[in-house]
Amino acid sequence: MTRAGNIPERVPSQVDEPPGVRARALVDFDAEPPQMASGAVGKDAYLRLGFERRGDRTILAELDRRVPFMVQRALYPDVTLPDQAWIFIITTSGCVLQGDRFALDVSLASGARAHVTTQSATKIHSMDVNHAVQKQTLTLEEDSYLELLPEPLIPHRRARFLSDTRITIAPSATLLYGEIVQPGRKHHHAQESFGATLLSLQLEAQRPDGRALFSENLVVEPAVRSVRQTGVMGTFDVFGNVLLLTPEDRANRVLERMDARVDLDRGVASGAGSLPNGAGLMFKAVGRETEQVKAEVRSFWGVVREEITGTSLPEPYF
Amino acid sequence: MTGVAREVTAPDPAVQLLRLLQFGDSMFPIGGFSFSGGLESAIQEGLVTDPDSLQEYTRTAIEQAALGDGVGLIWAHRAALAGDLAELERIDLQVYARKLSAETRTMSVRVGKKFAEMGVGITGAPLLDAWLERIKEGTTPGCYPVCLALNFAVQGLSDREAFTVHQYGVGAMILGAALRLMKVSHVETQRILYDLNADAGSDYELASRSSLSDMAGFAPLVDILAAVHEKAHLRLFMN
Repeated sequence: MTRAGNIPERVPSQVDEPPGVRARALVDFDAEPPQMASGAVGKDAYLRLGFERRGDRTILAELDRRVPFMVQRALYPDVTLPDQAWIFIITTSGCVLQGDRFALDVSLASGARAHVTTQSATKIHSMDVNHAVQKQTLTLEEDSYLELLPEPLIPHRRARFLSDTRITIAPSATLLYGEIVQPGRKHHHAQESFGATLLSLQLEAQRPDGRALFSENLVVEPAVRSVRQTGVMGTFDVFGNVLLLTPEDRANRVLERMDARVDLDRGVASGAGSLPNGAGLMFKAVGRETEQVKAEVRSFWGVVREEITGTSLPEPYF
Repeated sequence: MTGVAREVTAPDPAVQLLRLLQFGDSMFPIGGFSFSGGLESAIQEGLVTDPDSLQEYTRTAIEQAALGDGVGLIWAHRAALAGDLAELERIDLQVYARKLSAETRTMSVRVGKKFAEMGVGITGAPLLDAWLERIKEGTTPGCYPVCLALNFAVQGLSDREAFTVHQYGVGAMILGAALRLMKVSHVETQRILYDLNADAGSDYELASRSSLSDMAGFAPLVDILAAVHEKAHLRLFMN
């Protein structure tokens, strides 16, 4: 399309928008897939979940969805926290493909309690053109409580995946956010142990008045910087990244109960620490196998449940 | 607000080199010797055991610095040249908000404030003085890379020089601690430093082309080691 008259095309200035990792990813990996176009119908999943407190429980008051995301009704499976609404996100395409543009928008009105997870692990398939993007917007009002604990991400070799999470959280609310990243299908192919081209997991949290709490931008480019280096992943394969945003006194109670350790024999390491600006805690875990990291995340989750909701996490169902 | 360019008379290259050596010296009294950058725990937990693993660990720290603090430093240098204190504060808060480990934050603001105080005491630069006031008032955290950038900018030293000195400082701190924490010789630590310094040029090129929001990192074990260190009963270093 040609522009009319003398309106110039906007040329990005060198100073304003230098080609950083994200910009580079968008330039290098921007060719359109020969299959369906990027962001086409069926590739632009959208899910909006709005939770509200009604009487003695939380309901899914608002639901808007677009394929391949799908959600059925809220369930109340947890006997120790019977008011908490559980949502299992289903992705009907079964995976993330090149050109996918997914968006998830979760909000909790004051006093609402919810648990959002996925039905299974999320495979991010190999890509030869383009990239995949996931945008998540989380909004928590006063005294609300959200556990967002999806099943692991499995980036296949040559995957390019950009995740962008924006959190707005009231000072009295609690968010437990956890993601587990596998190195790939490590027993499937020699190149699938950290064979992804680019993983960028960006997360930013702020108060409703706009005050910044913290930012995290994890960029994994195994071909550029060795993931196996001492201090990065070393001999560990699976990475768990958990953030607990909660009032400082509660965060400190959780932190006091958490042990920090590196166990090279068992092949597992984890530790928690305080986030800047009184935002809460970070908890990191690495392990040789996914089950070990899941167990670490679950033990942290158990402490969070006890200190913040005053209830115990039930035994795993299976 | 006046830019700092006017305050600086074209420096003599020899003097400039000496300024660089003075403010980039690992013995510059800002307390760098009390930090190990997580090495103390890395050794206790058996992740760093010999010169090879020490070199890898130091490389990780230097790479992470280039991707994170180094980018903030370059943006801070640009803001300092423009004499823009509000922009410096914005950058400082961004750098601080990305320090998810408590001991790393403590180190950055402690060393940063000390560096600003020393800078004011030595150079008397008005912009640095105004910056130190803001740190003391608590309106800005005063992270080390931002204070270093400001100090270098007011002395007419380039962002490349500030970046390089910052990278050097990360390596020198860890390797200096290594001499006191493990069996390693001066020759080995200096050889490691020599090897790792070879990447400074390309690291600068990448960092100088990055936007502030590109500040990134990925070192889960370093984060876990910081958590281990905070819980440890017996500690020689502050991180």
